[in-house]
Amino acid sequence: MALSSNATRAVSEDEFACLVDLLAADAVGSAQLTDLLHEEHPVYDGRGTATVIRMRGWILLALARSGLSDQALIFVLEELDTGIDAYLVAAAARALRSYVQPNKTFAPFVGRALNQIRYHDEPLSFASYGEYTTSSTGTSAVSELLATLAWLGPNARAVLPELERWRAEHGLSRKLRLDLDRALQVIRGPADGVPSCCGDLPEGRNILIRTSTARFDSKSIDSIVMQDQDGKLLKFAEFFSGRPSIVVFFYTRCDNPMKCSLSVAKLARVQTLLDAQGLARRIRTAAITYDPQFDRAERLRVYGKDRAVRMDENHRMLRAVEGNHALREYFELGVNFIESLVNRHRIELYILDAAGRIAVSFERLHWDEEKIVTYAVETLKEKGRW
Amino acid sequence: MMATKRKVAKKASIRKQTAGATTAVQVAKNIDDVRRQLKVLCDDSKRIEARMAALQSLGAAAFSVANFESVNTEYIAALRQVSTDSHEQLRRRALGILMRNKDGFAQKKLLNGLKDPAKALLPPEKALQLLGNDVHAEAYSAARAIVKKPPSQEAKREALRLLAADAKSAPLFEKVLRDKKEMRENRQIAASALNSLNPEKLQQQALKILKDKSDYADIKATSLTALEQFGDDAALGKDKALMRSVTRFESSKTAAKYKQTARRFLSKHSQ
Repeated sequence: MALSSNATRAVSEDEFACLVDLLAADAVGSAQLTDLLHEEHPVYDGRGTATVIRMRGWILLALARSGLSDQALIFVLEELDTGIDAYLVAAAARALRSYVQPNKTFAPFVGRALNQIRYHDEPLSFASYGEYTTSSTGTSAVSELLATLAWLGPNARAVLPELERWRAEHGLSRKLRLDLDRALQVIRGPADGVPSCCGDLPEGRNILIRTSTARFDSKSIDSIVMQDQDGKLLKFAEFFSGRPSIVVFFYTRCDNPMKCSLSVAKLARVQTLLDAQGLARRIRTAAITYDPQFDRAERLRVYGKDRAVRMDENHRMLRAVEGNHALREYFELGVNFIESLVNRHRIELYILDAAGRIAVSFERLHWDEEKIVTYAVETLKEKGRW
Repeated sequence: MMATKRKVAKKASIRKQTAGATTAVQVAKNIDDVRRQLKVLCDDSKRIEARMAALQSLGAAAFSVANFESVNTEYIAALRQVSTDSHEQLRRRALGILMRNKDGFAQKKLLNGLKDPAKALLPPEKALQLLGNDVHAEAYSAARAIVKKPPSQEAKREALRLLAADAKSAPLFEKVLRDKKEMRENRQIAASALNSLNPEKLQQQALKILKDKSDYADIKATSLTALEQFGDDAALGKDKALMRSVTRFESSKTAAKYKQTARRFLSKHSQ
């Protein structure tokens, strides 16, 4: 059951739902379901955010039925880490429970999701595609997350103090209080015989390191014209060659505070760390917008300033005035659009070597600022070897 | 003229009805109170005034997010339920609250109504206004269709307001701004939208408008403000044709506030 780009681009939502159901029922369909979770997949072209939420939610629910693979795990963890939509968070929580075994590294993700969603939980129905319920008797994001914590059992002990505090607050409905009590009981229970894995996250991690010989050259975008926060025009190669650089993608109209706003604020912290190590002139940083038509120089400047971003000749907020499509292709950006507006994107940060080639990429999950600096310094040390 | 009078009378009548039918709003003191009000809200056998009062009280209670946590899903379910109620005012308020929270259910209903008027829960202008709460709502194509073939002037105005966040609509706003047959309010919206989407284009159009003897005073005043606030001062000061046009505008029989705008511009840019 091959999914060609052209075939999926034009499908209606109902057809899409049928396709997902077929893939979920097919023993070899799981990989294709995972493929559909990539934001840049043509199936999301020209759809609004609410539609994309319905579509991705349905895929996650299909994965919950067919079993969550290592490859799809990162998408589920991403949703728990940064999701703000109750439907998607609930579907991700349900999908996680279909993973082969509980893992204690999942607990902080579920805990964060619970904190994010608890004050704007929604009544949900998973009975049919795109259904919105008008009854509060069914499930909800918090309900699904609590069920996932119960599934994690003793593996969720890291979030136990937080859950106990929450239990003491009396802010829960009777039904959710029962769910929480059930989860607490299992988490506090004996760990004997509970299958778990420890250490790092399983397969599907969010960091991709490319050795010098495996990197693609940036010829295709070297001459694209970019504009910085002060209106200055420059070519990609002018800024991104000669020194390594750290690049994040964002857009000013992103309404998820866990994504663009946080990424740009974290970039500012990376800049501070670079400065503290005397590297602010040896390693460049840039925040490039996904939405160059709307994010004009003035908007970029204000957005950066509000998040304490250092902006000077080595550190810039940028938009592609020409060649945005080529830029998307070069970085294989995880983003899609409805007309000129972003409908969904992932978190993504890249470390480029001194030739503007992608050396390291961080995707989907929040990155640690110190780790970014460490990788950037390693890339800096390569200088002369490429 | 008659149509305007009828509209004013209708609005006054709605205000009178609402005012006359006021029911005291009960402040919810605890979760049990909230649940009682949720029941009143959803009970279509109750008087509409009581249901509206319950909605108002629930809105106030929901403001305290932490205390409302345990009933939030019930509240959303109730709002979705009454958003298809037979009473338009109730539908309007419920959909308004839902859309401010970017609710997918409300968005879908409103978009369906724009595409198929038989399914519309609200008039198109109100639906567009509510959809404007979420920049990511897929309303641009529906808004463009309304601008192209507006069911009413109000709907067209709201469609233009919504498109003011759509970078691809800049050429449409240039056209609306230059069209002297267009409603002046729409031209003002177009100027404001263009300033946000493509300020250089607004500057170009503003110059043309100011040099056009036959354009309206309020549009010229808007153009002057745009140039004064965002224009290239040095280039403007050197544009003799522009200075002549502004001087002519300042000495014409126009409202004092517009003359003042022109005087301010001239004093800033006269060399």
